[in-house]
Amino acid sequence: MSLNLGRVGVVALRVVRQLKRDRRTIGLIVFAPIVLMILFGYALSGDMSGVALGLVDGGGHAALRSHLVSIQDFDILYLGSQSDAEKLITEGQLDGAVLLQPEEVRVLLDASSLQISGAIAAAVQAGASKEKAVLQKAQESPIITRYIFGYDLEMMDTVGPAILGLVVFFFTFINAAIAFIRERSQGTLEKFMVSPLSRVEMVSGYVLGFSLFTILQSATTLFVVTFGFGVPLRGSPFTALAVVLLLGAGALVLGSFFSNFARSEFQVVQFIPLIITPQIVLCGIWWPLQSVPEFIRPFSYILPLTYAAHALRAVMLKGAGISDILYPDLLALGVFFLIFFAAATLMLRREVA
Amino acid sequence: MAGRGMVREMEPAVSARGVTKSFGRQKVLDSLNLDIPSGVTYCLLGPNGSGKTTFIRAIVRLLHLDKGEMSVLGRPVSEVDKIYSQIGYMTQHKALYPDLTVQENMEFYAGLYGLTRQHREERIEELLEMVDLLEHRGRLAGALSGGMYQRLSLACTLIHEPELLLLDEPTVGIDPRLRQTFWEYFDRLTREGKTVLITTHLMDEAEKCRMVGYMRAGRMVAQGTPEEILSQAGLRPLLKLWLAEPERDAALLRAQGYEIDVVGGVVQARLESHAQIKEVLAAVSPLDMRLMEPKLEEAFLRLSVGA
Repeated sequence: MSLNLGRVGVVALRVVRQLKRDRRTIGLIVFAPIVLMILFGYALSGDMSGVALGLVDGGGHAALRSHLVSIQDFDILYLGSQSDAEKLITEGQLDGAVLLQPEEVRVLLDASSLQISGAIAAAVQAGASKEKAVLQKAQESPIITRYIFGYDLEMMDTVGPAILGLVVFFFTFINAAIAFIRERSQGTLEKFMVSPLSRVEMVSGYVLGFSLFTILQSATTLFVVTFGFGVPLRGSPFTALAVVLLLGAGALVLGSFFSNFARSEFQVVQFIPLIITPQIVLCGIWWPLQSVPEFIRPFSYILPLTYAAHALRAVMLKGAGISDILYPDLLALGVFFLIFFAAATLMLRREVA
Repeated sequence: MAGRGMVREMEPAVSARGVTKSFGRQKVLDSLNLDIPSGVTYCLLGPNGSGKTTFIRAIVRLLHLDKGEMSVLGRPVSEVDKIYSQIGYMTQHKALYPDLTVQENMEFYAGLYGLTRQHREERIEELLEMVDLLEHRGRLAGALSGGMYQRLSLACTLIHEPELLLLDEPTVGIDPRLRQTFWEYFDRLTREGKTVLITTHLMDEAEKCRMVGYMRAGRMVAQGTPEEILSQAGLRPLLKLWLAEPERDAALLRAQGYEIDVVGGVVQARLESHAQIKEVLAAVSPLDMRLMEPKLEEAFLRLSVGA
């Protein structure tokens, strides 16, 4: 199998010329990250308001009480007894209730909404620790809870790096799959097969051409994410770019490989729920890998976005360098790329013969 | 109609022996024997589904044969990938990028075959002129009309001056004037020693070719020069003569061994070859005459019935 860089360049130039002419795709490069940041950054931020919380004040716990009342997201309703609280929760009027009694604190929660009940439980915990701090002030120093990385991070900050990976993966996969479908339907693939251009050169040309496109897309997305949404960029943008380029190359060969299983552009779009959605759900950004059920978790570890999101998070939020993310993230992305590069080139032949 | 010289005694450009290929239960090529001499235009004729395209795809090894042997430009077909740079292959799909301009499409294919920058510009200029697309070089290929698109595809196929041209239905949708230009260009190529294989289902195209092969259901019904095929089918040119004394001259020609009929006062001579026209005219002096060439179509019909 020969590899002539001149021919690789010829294919790359052609791919760039075609993409350059595709105004809609160019527009999507800019607007997609903005839309996704708004969707995932704000809507899924975990911040909530209007939580209806019942409070039965049986005495004591002044610090906890004032903490709960001070939380703006909670609408506090003062109640007379536990049975009132239970009734209102059952009827759906309240999301939960806290019963303060001198000897104990009782928390009643609506189990149908895990996130809201989690927020209430967390608030009670926080209030209790404040109370503890006040009580023990004389003897001990207050308890200081320290979170490593992200003590002041918002959802936006953790989502930002993943958006960068997601945008590049999504568009490269779709564009590559459609491009290869067209190579088949236009007859150009058949013509390549009868030219000095080898399969490796053809796929390499695509990787090169799309990489220039990926650089543009990454730069735009990084700009939008850091300047538009204030996500920190503690590491080097070039390290982030290296991760994204490797991810983009993987998405390209994956798209090329899957184009063998579609007969039209329409069918490529049907791959989205199968290929893209699992990556979004399982990549560990919106829901931590630890919360993914164990029987599904192995899938998380074969999906490239899992590693890319992890690495990008490390680079952007922790300031990690190349050597910090080499293993396992870059290694995994590299292996993924090589496997599907081989698969994509082999499938090109099989399809025609 | 140039290029009617002798078929050179050279290794054939393409030679097939007992070539067989099935898709599932259907035999698309059935023990096909075929020789395409170097330096000729060879027309592969046949109805749709007769296996013409499959045969071309077999030449460039886009599919593997079940049986039989084949050689291309002096090499076994298994090594054909080593000489892809000497082959120009035009598929029915046109193989162009609609989102690139005419010029960019040409540049792309020139680049694939490693043409130098200067050579590339010369070739693009020359070919765009031949296919009459010079003034459209900046247009997107997707915005061209069907015929223009076809012409651009041909130009792209010729960019690297291939020794062997494989053209699958190249003249579909091309107007007669340009079609004539194409044929002149193909003749020029064969004079340079290049070989052109064309598939078509148009008989009048076939008559312009040096050699013709007629396929049916994956088999070769007949092949040779158009004249050879006509005589194989027992079809000969008919010379109609208007004479002052038809009965006397008819007897005279019969005496010389010609097959003569007199129909409504017109003497009709069946000729063995065109060379006999001269001999007939040496014997009689017609007031008027007309040569009726037999049609290839009729020959193929006869031969198909026999096959």
